[in-house]
Amino acid sequence: MSQLQTRFFTDNKKYSVDDVPFSIPAASEVQELSNVINKLLEAKNGSHSQIEFDFLVRGQFLRTSLSNHMEAEGISTEDVVEIEYVERFTAPQPEECMMHDDWISSVEADSEWILTGSYDKTARIWSLEGKAVMTVAGHTDVVKDVAWVRRDGLTSLLLTASLDQTILLWEWNSERNKLKARHCCRGHAGSVDTIATDPTRTKVTGEEEEVEEPPSRPRKKQKTEQLGLTRTPLMTLSGHNEAVSSVLWLDSEEICSASWDHTIRLWDAETGSVKTTLTGSKVFNHISYSPLCRRLASGSTDRHVRLWDPRSKDGSLVLLSLTSHSGWVTAVKWAPSHEHQLVSGSLDNLVKLWDTRSCKTPLYDVSAHEDKVLCVDWTDSRLMLSGGADNKLYTYRYTACETDAGA
Amino acid sequence: MGTVCVGGVYPAGCEKKRDTAAHSLLIGSGRGVFIEITHRCSPTLKWLTTSESFQLSRVCDIRNTVGNVPMEWYQDYPHIGYNLDGKKIFKPIRNKDELDEFLDKMENPDYWRTVHDKTTASDIRLTDEQVDLVHRLQKGQFGDVNFNEYEPSVDFFTNEVMIHPVTNRPQDKRSFIPSLIEKEKVSKLVHAIKMGWIKPRKPKETTPQYYDLWAKEDPNAILGRHKMHVPAPKMRLPGHEESYNPPPEYLLTEEERLVWEQQDAEDRKLPFLPQKHSCLRAVPAFSRFIHERFERCLDLYLCPRQRKMRVNVNPEDLIPKLPKPKDLQPFPTTMSLVYRGHTSLVRSISASPTGQWLVSGSDDFTVRFWEVNTGRCMKTLEVGGAVKSVAWNPNPAVCLVAVCFERTVLLLNPSLGDRLVVSSTDQLITAYEPPEEDKEQAVTWALSEGLEHNMGHRLTLTHPKAVKQVVWHGKGDYLSSVMPDNSSNLQVLIHQVSKRRTQNPFRKNKGLVQCVSFHPLRPYFFVATQRYVRVYNLIKQELTKKLMTNCKWISSMAIHPGGDNLICGSYDCRLAWFDLDLSTKPYKMLRHHKKALRGVAYHRNYPLFASGADDGSVIVCHGMVYNDLLQNPLIVPVKVLKGHQITHDLGVLDVTFHPTQPWVFSSGADTTIRLFT
Repeated sequence: MSQLQTRFFTDNKKYSVDDVPFSIPAASEVQELSNVINKLLEAKNGSHSQIEFDFLVRGQFLRTSLSNHMEAEGISTEDVVEIEYVERFTAPQPEECMMHDDWISSVEADSEWILTGSYDKTARIWSLEGKAVMTVAGHTDVVKDVAWVRRDGLTSLLLTASLDQTILLWEWNSERNKLKARHCCRGHAGSVDTIATDPTRTKVTGEEEEVEEPPSRPRKKQKTEQLGLTRTPLMTLSGHNEAVSSVLWLDSEEICSASWDHTIRLWDAETGSVKTTLTGSKVFNHISYSPLCRRLASGSTDRHVRLWDPRSKDGSLVLLSLTSHSGWVTAVKWAPSHEHQLVSGSLDNLVKLWDTRSCKTPLYDVSAHEDKVLCVDWTDSRLMLSGGADNKLYTYRYTACETDAGA
Repeated sequence: MGTVCVGGVYPAGCEKKRDTAAHSLLIGSGRGVFIEITHRCSPTLKWLTTSESFQLSRVCDIRNTVGNVPMEWYQDYPHIGYNLDGKKIFKPIRNKDELDEFLDKMENPDYWRTVHDKTTASDIRLTDEQVDLVHRLQKGQFGDVNFNEYEPSVDFFTNEVMIHPVTNRPQDKRSFIPSLIEKEKVSKLVHAIKMGWIKPRKPKETTPQYYDLWAKEDPNAILGRHKMHVPAPKMRLPGHEESYNPPPEYLLTEEERLVWEQQDAEDRKLPFLPQKHSCLRAVPAFSRFIHERFERCLDLYLCPRQRKMRVNVNPEDLIPKLPKPKDLQPFPTTMSLVYRGHTSLVRSISASPTGQWLVSGSDDFTVRFWEVNTGRCMKTLEVGGAVKSVAWNPNPAVCLVAVCFERTVLLLNPSLGDRLVVSSTDQLITAYEPPEEDKEQAVTWALSEGLEHNMGHRLTLTHPKAVKQVVWHGKGDYLSSVMPDNSSNLQVLIHQVSKRRTQNPFRKNKGLVQCVSFHPLRPYFFVATQRYVRVYNLIKQELTKKLMTNCKWISSMAIHPGGDNLICGSYDCRLAWFDLDLSTKPYKMLRHHKKALRGVAYHRNYPLFASGADDGSVIVCHGMVYNDLLQNPLIVPVKVLKGHQITHDLGVLDVTFHPTQPWVFSSGADTTIRLFT
């Protein structure tokens, strides 16, 4: 069998070709198929310039030759094969490298500023161009997590969580570059490893940051505003048997937490009760939730990135495993604007960019770090960030395909 | 058959002088003339008679004198012999046929006592006396009715003692005194018995003795050889193509011939070319004859002539049935993190009870604290010597780490974890009030202040000798330190932190102490010397058990969290598992490592134990202990973890498990600590 009947289609009208079956060699690979499409487009439109395409057969990216792929997937070669093609996601381009004094424990970027937490007991604010704007010093121990809370014009609220068992809420004026510690949140009996802010922070006056957790006490806390300098938890979510490694808000009513006791729990933010428990077999290091595809991605100590459906009742079902890392996956993050893409960082010094339609091989390996990668993040403004134990925060620029954005 | 022959060669009448009774006795022994007796009445009755009794009962004597010859000889003669006078005895006229015989049998009342005399060919009717005689003889009685076989016996000499002796000779003296000769003989026998020369007779063997008839039979003997015979390979019989005049279809055509010539000798279908000769006379000599004979001889010589009986043992069957490691998950499988920072070999590691921190002590005079999940060194403390042992207090409510180097045991507060715990630990230490009377203690307790206090030092225990190991009790108030010394009883000390007291529990030196350990639940104390592990009851202050390890030199020891099992690693590459309920000998001896073991550890929750050795590997085994006393622990080696480089012939120096996860830490001579998950 050397020829296959195929039919090409795409969502992008710009690159659409005639809906007729083509006969192409079964041994063709992505590059050859891409050439075929380019030829077709050139024939249709003389001013067409060469574009790299990626191909999906029944929702799976083509990575080997077409015949091998279909054999592996068990697709019949008798019928006409429907092949979807999309513009290839271009490799992220290294943009900036921001040197820190110590390991970078966490990073969170929004459209204007980058906030990083570091093991030198400070958090830092950077501009997107890589200029150090502000150093947030106040903790007496390692800063483990940082989060933006709210931005009102030039004034921003930000949170830093530290090993010294406190969370500090800061107010920062970007114009005057003034920083003021507004509140100190106490209540944890261990280091605070992770914090997350409520998605409705812009509406609620008493902004809620959902806090989290000591690797020794099985609980999480939620806080509300008080007038004093020190705040106490609004609510404590108890249930985990071991350290909670990651928390996030699914929406304004639901909190999700991942723990070393091999479970991911979904909590009702109003009542503080457990709604669902997803049980894995390994310690969870980090989780991320994409509102676009409504999936949870978890990074655990066994090299896999796993995808979960938090809504399913039979909660412990893994939808997909993305396997390519060779060390613990320390950080995962869904793309803010693409429902299939996520990025993961691992102890094997690699940052990998994944498309869930290709679970065996990542789209790109980013091997900029010389030591453990501890945190990753995306921004809406086409910036991907990763920080690690080599004290460097790398930013990469990626170009999202227009069709994929918001797909 | 109705005839019985009583053989005798003697002529009749040779004993006729005997009286009737005596003579008739001899009939039983077969002395008599040749008589054929026919019984005609009952098949069980046998008739016997003698010519003598005939003679008496008959008027005429017609005894036959022919002797012991077959009467058939006289078949064709009118007579059947000769009487005493030499006259012929003529056969009586017999014209009885079968019918007459039958009628006779039916009608003649005397038929049953009528016998046929062959020698005279006459029928004789036995008299009543003769019938009686026959009956008696049949019963085994004497022939004579009057013979009494039980007559009273008459002694030749009386058995009564008479008044007058037969001789009047006085008795000899020797009849009164014991015999000297006999005495000598007896004493010789007694001596021989004493010396063991004479042995008591062996009791006869009562068991019947059998022997195996075929025991000595050689299986290669003819019978065996026939059984195992392998015939020699047969030669192929010649076919048509070998004929001197083969049918034309067997002859090769020109093309086939060319092909045949081009082929290799092995590929050829035929080893020769069939050829046609007009007559047998024209066949030339076969040029390859010698060659073919030689090859045939080789075939015969090299062919297998014997069937070898091979015992097919499946090697799989010899392996004990153990569950597959796959089914025993979870256990550490891969190296995940390397904790780098030390500059010399890392002697000892210990994990905090929460599993968030790890402490390590090294020969570079530092103690380092690590964050477990990132491999970050959180703190480095310089101490004044090579750190031999570190131990994190197992009580989660106390934040203390014991470190020993040279002659000092240092209690550190690493200030990691909950602030409340950290401060309460400091309070606990400062709350000490010295007792009224000061007792002399083996060690000096000193509270650290100033700079040292800021570094984390809390208490310093200065020992009289170099300390090798420190170990905490499970409750976290007591700790024990080991000062190996071969010549003193001051080797093991037990300290109480809250009261700052020190005791020496042992009065005697039982050997060089290698390591000690507290029982996790009960007040027992384990002391490992070079070859033995002694279990002491601390409350009763007595030795409970002494475990023989069969090892040359124990290096390390770990107690199962259940408290009933114990593992010992030794420098002679062995790991001994003891079940304390079972025996004082090892339940299992594992020899998995190639070199000396340096550290062993049990997991607190999972059924796992690990051992680290100088070959640079950590071997993780599944060690399931069942609550059921009847079931022995299940030990399955599950994983060999490699990663440490061997430096100065030292590999892994210490292993310890994560308190909650199935992860194992190992520290090595290559200055690194590694985490396997």
